[in-house]
Amino acid sequence: MRLLRYVFYRVLQIVPVALIVVVINFLLIHLAPGDVSILLAGEDANPEFMATIRERYGLDEPFLQQLWSYLVTILSGDFGQSYRTGEPVIGLIMERVPATLLLAGSSLAVAAILGTAIGTAIARRPGSFLDTAITTLSIALFSIPVFWLGLMLILFFAVRLQLLPSSGMITIGGPRDGLGHILDILWHMVLPVAALATVWLGQYVRLARVSVSEVLAESYVTTGRAIGYPERTIMTRFGLRNALLPLVTVLGLELGLLLTGAVLTETVFAWPGLGRLIYEAILARDTPIIMGAFVIMSFTVMIASLVTDILYAALDPRVRL
Amino acid sequence: MGRGLRLLRGVVSTVPGALSLAVVLLALVVALAAPWLDLADPVAMGREVYKAPSAAHWFGTDNFGRDVFSRVIWGTRVALVVAIGSAVLSIVVGAIIGAIAGYFGGLVDAALSRLFDVFLLIPTFFLVLLIVALFGASLPMTMFAIALTTWPRSARIMRSQVLSLKSRVYVQAALASGASHRQVIVRHVIPNGIAPILTDGALLMGLAVLTEAGLSFLGLGDQNSVSWGRMIFEGQRQLRLAPWMSIAPGVAMLVLVASLNLLGDALNYAMNPQLRTRGGAPRRRGTAPPPADEPGEGHGAILRVDNLSLAYRVGRRQIVAVDGVSFSLSRGGSLGIVGESGCGKSSLGSALLQTVPNNADFLSGTVSIDGQTVLAGGRPIARQGRLRIDALRWTHIATIFQSAMNALNPVATVERQLVDAYRHHRRGASRAEARERAGAVFDLIGVPRSRLNAYPHELSGGMRQRAMIALSLMLEPKLIIADEPTTALDMLIQDQILGEIEELRRRLGLSLILVSHDMGAVSETCERVAVMYAGRIVESAPTSVIFSRPSHPYTRALIDALPDLTGARRKLASLPAVTDQATCLDACRFAPRCPHATDLCRTVSPPVVTLMDGHDAECHYAADFAPQPREELVR
Repeated sequence: MRLLRYVFYRVLQIVPVALIVVVINFLLIHLAPGDVSILLAGEDANPEFMATIRERYGLDEPFLQQLWSYLVTILSGDFGQSYRTGEPVIGLIMERVPATLLLAGSSLAVAAILGTAIGTAIARRPGSFLDTAITTLSIALFSIPVFWLGLMLILFFAVRLQLLPSSGMITIGGPRDGLGHILDILWHMVLPVAALATVWLGQYVRLARVSVSEVLAESYVTTGRAIGYPERTIMTRFGLRNALLPLVTVLGLELGLLLTGAVLTETVFAWPGLGRLIYEAILARDTPIIMGAFVIMSFTVMIASLVTDILYAALDPRVRL
Repeated sequence: MGRGLRLLRGVVSTVPGALSLAVVLLALVVALAAPWLDLADPVAMGREVYKAPSAAHWFGTDNFGRDVFSRVIWGTRVALVVAIGSAVLSIVVGAIIGAIAGYFGGLVDAALSRLFDVFLLIPTFFLVLLIVALFGASLPMTMFAIALTTWPRSARIMRSQVLSLKSRVYVQAALASGASHRQVIVRHVIPNGIAPILTDGALLMGLAVLTEAGLSFLGLGDQNSVSWGRMIFEGQRQLRLAPWMSIAPGVAMLVLVASLNLLGDALNYAMNPQLRTRGGAPRRRGTAPPPADEPGEGHGAILRVDNLSLAYRVGRRQIVAVDGVSFSLSRGGSLGIVGESGCGKSSLGSALLQTVPNNADFLSGTVSIDGQTVLAGGRPIARQGRLRIDALRWTHIATIFQSAMNALNPVATVERQLVDAYRHHRRGASRAEARERAGAVFDLIGVPRSRLNAYPHELSGGMRQRAMIALSLMLEPKLIIADEPTTALDMLIQDQILGEIEELRRRLGLSLILVSHDMGAVSETCERVAVMYAGRIVESAPTSVIFSRPSHPYTRALIDALPDLTGARRKLASLPAVTDQATCLDACRFAPRCPHATDLCRTVSPPVVTLMDGHDAECHYAADFAPQPREELVR
């Protein structure tokens, strides 16, 4: 019951943030150089279409009225149409979401699990040579521009060794159903996931190292040792159990960063996800898609942080509900 | 500025710190000197296209015949301009707004903090991307867009810095003496709050370089500048033909961004050196076999400590916290160890339990618990690879920590913690059995069993302390070490808990060591008192004797610092502050603060004077002080 109330309030808190994101979008369109209707309809739209756009967004009405019309339009899920194809933006974006989720989700799983394990292991010996070396290495890993790492992986594994496919999600003319199809996708995932996971791995090693060693300095860990628990129990029941909570929160907060990496990686590997869509939209100056992607990404991050907060509340008895 | 210098020394004292600082400085020099270096024109096209790296073109040439090495060097300029420009913009705006939020508090703070939170949830790269896509791609626009999305980071840091600074004494004093808000912010708040922001600044710079590169890679880079991201963007299309076009700028970016991140990391550690080494698993120490001449379980004193010394390594310094301490505790006896903070009393407690931090070393000492030696000659006793203290923990020796200090695991219920401890030592005990024992212990200390299901944070301070006491009693230990068990509690609860501990001790026939800074607390609970100063026990005696005939000036000062509820009102005595924890061994450690110190005290370390059986004091003049009534010495 208390959890439900917490969820309710947390959802309420999201509303103003969502509104602000839409307002930012609105202000940007109006501040940008050039005619608003051209931005929304595209440069070579015919006059009738231009008129419909002006009508829908109320562009001939007073400023505040326009803001209201814009809010209503966006919140009803209407992000306008693509310049090029005339298809609704929301449909174009939703179509691409699964591929991005597949790529980002698998990379995140690999990085988070491996990173937590490595970070926890080096937290046992803070200040040791191994700790310094791995910490330094993990900082170097998350300093790699992910798209460049992608290129290097292609260069080595696809061009030089000709071992793995360098682009796309499926083999053209390959199997389209059953196990063969799944294996084909997995095969295409290897390089992009490797690139993304490598960069995030650095992040998670670092986070886990900091989080676990902070917990190990707490008095309850000393109590555990005074009780005589073996170090393995201390690590799991006291250390990891308490350190995982901040890790989960950071996961939610950094989702925006993760999506950034995913978009850039998709561009390199021609992965048919959101990133590819954004990239193509930029090249074609298809502004409605870029704006729609920004709003949807913002909402996704907000919802993700909501979910992690609720998870946190469920996991950590200390959160005041 | 001394502080800046110290910070710098902290940074270069580690290999990654020194290396990253060197790389960042080198990049700065290269960027500034680029026009004067004898480089090929980075934009001049030539006929030698797609040339692999050679002596003429170190990093080869690109599809237009431009020299890649020269372009990478010129790219450093762009990278640093973007990095510094966005970071400075972000920090200036963020620091000002953050300072305003923290300083004025109230509604201003509430509104601004909400705004920071909103920005935290917006995926910044996509906002930057949108801004640049709408407003046109240029370097200034990129920097502006990056700063627009990152300033709340600096603002949040500044705000929390200001909040903690505001409560500090010197800021309060400045305000009280009539300084204006502006003066206080400029003179006190900004200089002290800026260090963590600068640390974050290094990370911001790295982020800015990566963001600019990401934009360029998506085709939203400045068309007129040679940036690394743009080079990779162009190189991507020639990946098969001329891989060096994308390899070189990527490596350059990786090195610069990694150095910036490492530098931020090193700065952070230089400001908080304890962060680097704290926590961790206990290190293995050299062990010793059990001695042949020990009395064995059930014989002799419950605790015997002989010449125990413990030192901490802090940087290159060694701080001796416990210095040649010896005492023993009879079965069923109670001993209070009293002294001010930093005197080594808590270190002594953890040394007995062998739960000392990793930077602590036993210099010497023999400790035996219930007739079994656990430490000999400063080495833990082990038999067949198992530490002897492990076998005695919680079944023979248990501890009560100050529970306000998070002494109970916050994510497990009290019952779970009691049950786990019980079942860990009583192998084969069922869960039900352990639960019953937990209930029985709660009955014993007079806490309703219904509280067993609570999490530590759901209990009041006093209740939490009782839960900690219950945990210590689970396995019926013979000896309990209570380290400041009542310190954070209010006076009434303090008294209750102390009374309960004392009663339990008598009822269960326990032996007790009570570590406290409070002479009053100890006097009510313990039969004997040992007064500790600068790592040594300077006086020990039965409680009544300590109070009637204190023979060390420090003991007298401690007693005189107690408020007296019954007698006439008088000024409470206080000691002059510690000048430097006395390190010169050829003097009495207390001499610099002692009102009675003579030249003898300042040159010769005092002997242990035995005044009567069971009353020792470490003072040249102990015999003179002992017979004097206390009042005469106060003035």
